[in-house]
Amino acid sequence: MEFLTLDVILNSLGEVGSTVLYIFVGTVILEVVVYFLWRPLEVFSRLIGRMLSPLGNAIRHVISTLLLVGVLVFTVASVSVGVEQPPPPWAPYWPLAVVAFLVGAFVSPTAPKIFHWQMRLPYMLFAPALVGLLVLVIYPLLWELNVSFTNLNPRHFKSPDFVGLQNYIEVFTAPVLKQVTFFPVFLRTILWTVINIAFHVTGGMALALLLNRKLRLKGLYRTLLVFPWAIPQPVACLAWRGEFHFEYGFVNIMLQRLGLPAVQWMTSPTWNFAAMCITNIWLGIPFMMVILLGGLQSIAGEYYEAAEIDGASGWQQFWNVTIPLLQPILTPAIILGTVWTFTNFNVPFFINQNELETSDTLVTALFRSAFQYFNLGDAAAFAFVNFGILLVFAILYIRATGGLKGATE
Amino acid sequence: MKRSILTLVALATLIATILAGCCPSPATPEPTEPAAPEPVEIVLWTKEGEADGGLQFVQALADAYTAENPDVTFEIINKDVETLREDFLTAGLAGSMPDLLWTVNDHAGPFTDAELIMPVDDMFDLSKYVGSALAAAELGGQTWGVPISNGNHLMLIYNKDLVETPPANTDELIAMGQELTTGDQYGLVFNQTEPFWLVPWLGGFEGSVFAEDGKTPTLDTAAMVDTLQFLYDIKHTTPIIPAESDYDGADTLFKEGKAAMIINGDWSLGGYKEAMGDKLGVARIPMVSATEEWPRPYTSGVYFMLPEGLEGAKLEAVKGFVEFVTNEENQVKMISELNRLPALESALDAPIIAEDPILKGSADQMVVGTPMPTVSEMRCNWDGMKPEMQAVLADTKSPEDAAAAMQAAAEACITDLE
Repeated sequence: MEFLTLDVILNSLGEVGSTVLYIFVGTVILEVVVYFLWRPLEVFSRLIGRMLSPLGNAIRHVISTLLLVGVLVFTVASVSVGVEQPPPPWAPYWPLAVVAFLVGAFVSPTAPKIFHWQMRLPYMLFAPALVGLLVLVIYPLLWELNVSFTNLNPRHFKSPDFVGLQNYIEVFTAPVLKQVTFFPVFLRTILWTVINIAFHVTGGMALALLLNRKLRLKGLYRTLLVFPWAIPQPVACLAWRGEFHFEYGFVNIMLQRLGLPAVQWMTSPTWNFAAMCITNIWLGIPFMMVILLGGLQSIAGEYYEAAEIDGASGWQQFWNVTIPLLQPILTPAIILGTVWTFTNFNVPFFINQNELETSDTLVTALFRSAFQYFNLGDAAAFAFVNFGILLVFAILYIRATGGLKGATE
Repeated sequence: MKRSILTLVALATLIATILAGCCPSPATPEPTEPAAPEPVEIVLWTKEGEADGGLQFVQALADAYTAENPDVTFEIINKDVETLREDFLTAGLAGSMPDLLWTVNDHAGPFTDAELIMPVDDMFDLSKYVGSALAAAELGGQTWGVPISNGNHLMLIYNKDLVETPPANTDELIAMGQELTTGDQYGLVFNQTEPFWLVPWLGGFEGSVFAEDGKTPTLDTAAMVDTLQFLYDIKHTTPIIPAESDYDGADTLFKEGKAAMIINGDWSLGGYKEAMGDKLGVARIPMVSATEEWPRPYTSGVYFMLPEGLEGAKLEAVKGFVEFVTNEENQVKMISELNRLPALESALDAPIIAEDPILKGSADQMVVGTPMPTVSEMRCNWDGMKPEMQAVLADTKSPEDAAAAMQAAAEACITDLE
């Protein structure tokens, strides 16, 4: 603690404070610019619209799309990867790209609608988020895409070479780490997800059913059961890792007291994977329990009364009343849980202290490939493959839950 | 209509301004000002941790330097060895590097490959440092680090309460270890997760990680198979080590008196001396009975490395601090506080080295050590060896398969580097 002095704390607070201030001032300037620029843009878009009306909407759409796609390609190809990589020969023509972008935007027949003065407020509200997304998501993504076509690694650090699709081919043909190849890691990640979700749902359901009864000190039990959810994941993982220590961990001490042999949680591939699962099951049950408890409480008592009159047993009531009525809550919760577990980094990373490749999932393998072995080009391609897999998940999720219905209808 | 024309003029001006960005603006000469001492803050990343007093030692030196030079202040950040390497490469990629590194020699390989550090030959008088320490930071005819300490080598450290005379060879080690391994006590402990602890034995079995060219991996050899078999045996066949033990686990077992012997590096001596006092003994890692060769731990040292692009007042401040840390007074202080051998030649004459049995033992081990390779291919060897060494210890792979797999991984990694 002696290194965390008042000076250090004040410095950090000062840095955070000034960053917040910069963001605030930047936002204000951005809003003012959008406010004053909107009117001229509207007038300009109408003028262009009137001038280009003889061309016909279809042609204008085509021109606009071509220009905008061209600008996008130009931008992707211009993001330089290495610190000292010479800019591409086309880089000095960026102002032309800006002009092409403006022309592309205004040629479109929808331009007058987009730049209508009534749209000023929505765009003002949207502008800070757009800038944030551009800087924090779009730019890094474009950079990453470029990296995936290069051999960026410590030997080619400041000016890497273009290698085409080689990195993408190697994701599937060469080990992604030292020994393990892509498909075993992928299958393990699926196994990891299935095991965890199965336990989350059954465990969460059992606890939710117990808590849904009349019970003394129900609030206390509920609080205690939700506790794992409230602890930051890395902290919980490190605590669990300590408990899996061969000599000093609680788990082995308890096993030995019960007369069982101590388990090599950190070195045995099977047991390390089991340790990961135990930790994540412990972490994930509370979420499922809370969601399902909410669902159970929304089921009206009349259904059960009616079932009882019909002579249904407890099991039949659960199977024919509870489960169907929980379905609308269960489906999104399971899909969300699946995505979270599939992409969980903390548990597989922290519990796998010895960096066993037999315990790596897609995300931890990606992390090791990039930041431990520094094969940044390979890792970027690997990241885009992972991105593709998660995109499929996300689409399935959105389809199954209708999550975007409200925004698109 | 008037308004539209105005708007169009405004937009045209905007576009013209953007287009003007094409043309380079005429260079304006920078006004030259006389150099005045400006306050600088040096961000120093060190691999020294708090547990063995290293970080406190670095902080004390920085404070002492600031007391003498109030314009120079320090922000000292501790990162463990591997994290320091990974973070420095990432910082290099982001263009936000620290101002000074206090780290081990083999980082010079990847850092010079990535062109992130600069040679120090023309900045310091290197003739005053021990030759072997300098040699471990040389690459391509240039020196990439200023040595702080010499050694960083593994040795056998034992608890005199449990071990009267340290074992001279591996047969004795196993016999003694089996006697001492009872219930919750172990004969020997070491970090079973890092191949740094495998390499001395490989030397003892007459192997080496590189061919004579110093960069072609030679991991799939009979010597490596014998080494892995030996490690397997001391865990499974004639168990004298815990079923599982990482660095901290081994360290704690030894400090608590639950392990008779530990193989650990010179960096740990300070902490052990404090925890165990007179009970502490240091000796060479026992000779390999089968070959009658001494295990050959890697020797290197701890070095200052200067990030590329450091200049002006910051560079001057960094140079001043480096000279300060490696002056005789502070080198002798390091010997007594951290029990490390100095990098400054003149400090080697300090009476404390000859008088202190711990330092004497450490120096004796260093005699049979071998300089740790600096080339970046070594990184591929480390990364290749690590999972395979663990697989053999976990009994999931035979030594033969593991040796072949580590060779293949190292070769693939080197191909990727090219």
